[in-house]
Amino acid sequence: MTLNNFIRLALIKTASLILVLLGVSFLTFLLYYYAPGDKALAIANARYIGEGSASAELVEQIRLETGIDRPFLVQFYYWAQDIVQLDFGVSLVSQEPVSEIFVSQLQETLELAILSLVIGMSLAIPLSMISVWKPKSFIDRFAIALSSVGAAIPSYWLGLIFIFVFAAKLQLLPAYGSGSLAHLILPASTLGLWVLTSQTRLIRSFLLEASAAPFLETLKIRGVGPKELFCRHIVRHAFVPFITMLGLDLAFLLEGAVIVEVVFARGGVGSLLVHSVMSRDFPIIQCIVIFSAVTYVTINSAVEIFQWFINPVSLQR
Amino acid sequence: MVHQPCILTEIMSYFMSVFAFRNLVLPVQTKTLLKKHSIILLVFGFFAGLVFLGFFMTPYNPVETNFLNRLGSPSWQNWFGTDQMGRDIATRILYGAGWSVGLALIVSTAGAVIGTIIGLLAGSLGRLVDGFCMRMTDSFFAFPELIAAIVITGVLGPNTINMVIALILVSWMRFARLVRALTEDIKRRDYVIQAKLNKIPYYLVLSRHYLPNIILSVVVIWTSSWSRTILSISGLSFLGFGVQPPQAEWGAMLLDGKPYMLSAPHVMIFPGLAVLITVLTLNLMGDHLRDHLQALEK
Repeated sequence: MTLNNFIRLALIKTASLILVLLGVSFLTFLLYYYAPGDKALAIANARYIGEGSASAELVEQIRLETGIDRPFLVQFYYWAQDIVQLDFGVSLVSQEPVSEIFVSQLQETLELAILSLVIGMSLAIPLSMISVWKPKSFIDRFAIALSSVGAAIPSYWLGLIFIFVFAAKLQLLPAYGSGSLAHLILPASTLGLWVLTSQTRLIRSFLLEASAAPFLETLKIRGVGPKELFCRHIVRHAFVPFITMLGLDLAFLLEGAVIVEVVFARGGVGSLLVHSVMSRDFPIIQCIVIFSAVTYVTINSAVEIFQWFINPVSLQR
Repeated sequence: MVHQPCILTEIMSYFMSVFAFRNLVLPVQTKTLLKKHSIILLVFGFFAGLVFLGFFMTPYNPVETNFLNRLGSPSWQNWFGTDQMGRDIATRILYGAGWSVGLALIVSTAGAVIGTIIGLLAGSLGRLVDGFCMRMTDSFFAFPELIAAIVITGVLGPNTINMVIALILVSWMRFARLVRALTEDIKRRDYVIQAKLNKIPYYLVLSRHYLPNIILSVVVIWTSSWSRTILSISGLSFLGFGVQPPQAEWGAMLLDGKPYMLSAPHVMIFPGLAVLITVLTLNLMGDHLRDHLQALEK
């Protein structure tokens, strides 16, 4: 029964995943289609840069070549065909293939994201565990204060403060640019503090929720010691929501990376996005938007399927 | 016996029931409410008063430049110092509160209304509508909020109106999901089934049974959406996609002051602190509100 049920649910999940991906690409194309400005002129100007404004014939030729004047659905069909084959075209500004530019920038963002996740998590997990283990202690109060203040700190401001204190006044670390590990420390700490504060709040609430479960009373009466109760039962029960959150975190880190990368003048997907939006480089924008959306949706579904494995009770709903 | 209502009497009676609800619940709770949440209410009132005051009167003119007093340090005349054009930072922060807090209020309210309507339709109408609305919500939800907001404002043209549109487009889904989940539950309750059997018109069931049951949870999410939006607005303005620099928005002020940060750190510190304190106050308000509502339910 369980396996059949599982396959049925997995099929439904896949079907809705496909629908959502279709919706995602449709929305992306809709934005491109209704963006103000003449796209053929923009392509012509970008392609033959430095030759003044493009001639009317050239613009007309590009219009025919790219099919910009065709009906909406026809354009969407051809566009989606390319996207499915992961062909995002060439950048309007540099004329290089979008996928190459994107992959080279993705590495830097991943470095930043992973390091900040490690920094944040390695502090958040012990902090929240101690805070639940010893309620109303100093550390508990500290964790509560940290999580509510941290949620309110604007990350660009924190980045500027870090630059001011550690790079300008103390001259310990380089402020801008990328390349070495030293360049990575300040941005990763900025993003890591955000991970730390949001995760402390969440993990703490998961643990609190788990420690309110009724079966713990029974275990206590049976004579299970508080240490075993905490380590074996409470932490275990908080694990499922923790995994869910970890998956979604990766997607949110991409979002946080945008601001941090701009503040610290690093390369990466975030600053690539900001630059391409400023120069209206549509192929790159589309690539990043679709990448982030697909990542988010896929992680979301993967997490859900993983949850079914850990906790088969959720299948029966 | 089914009564024959018209839409006007319905609206009137709806407001009356809201007042009735307030009269029943609030007097009993007011004392404990004031006692338990007095500090945060005072803080909130203080800042709300400041924002209100800043809208009508400020110590200096927020856009008047004074090049004799460029990048002045904090002093008795200019509490938070002056910026690179000699404008008083305290004045600009007060004035900018209207932008940040006011725009965020508009965005989160619009998001709440749109999300609630879609969530109600999805939850209370048939499976087809539900499927369509929820897949649409999922599709919108798939884009990370900030990335979508940057792209939409950037493509439409970076200015305040486009930023507001973009932020509304990325903020309604949270409400839709919440309302739909709540509606699913209400749909199975006896009095809703009874109303359906009695052929009570749909809008009546919505306003009498669904709305009163979901409105409080929506308000809780609405406060957190409000504070998130303040962060988004100042973040977008900082990146150059929102309110444009001559205006005294907090993020735009930071963007403006960034080049002078090393010689005059007060240009950068105070606008950021303003964001921090405002968002923190709103978050704490939301937490208290949630606690209070949970206590009410018990």
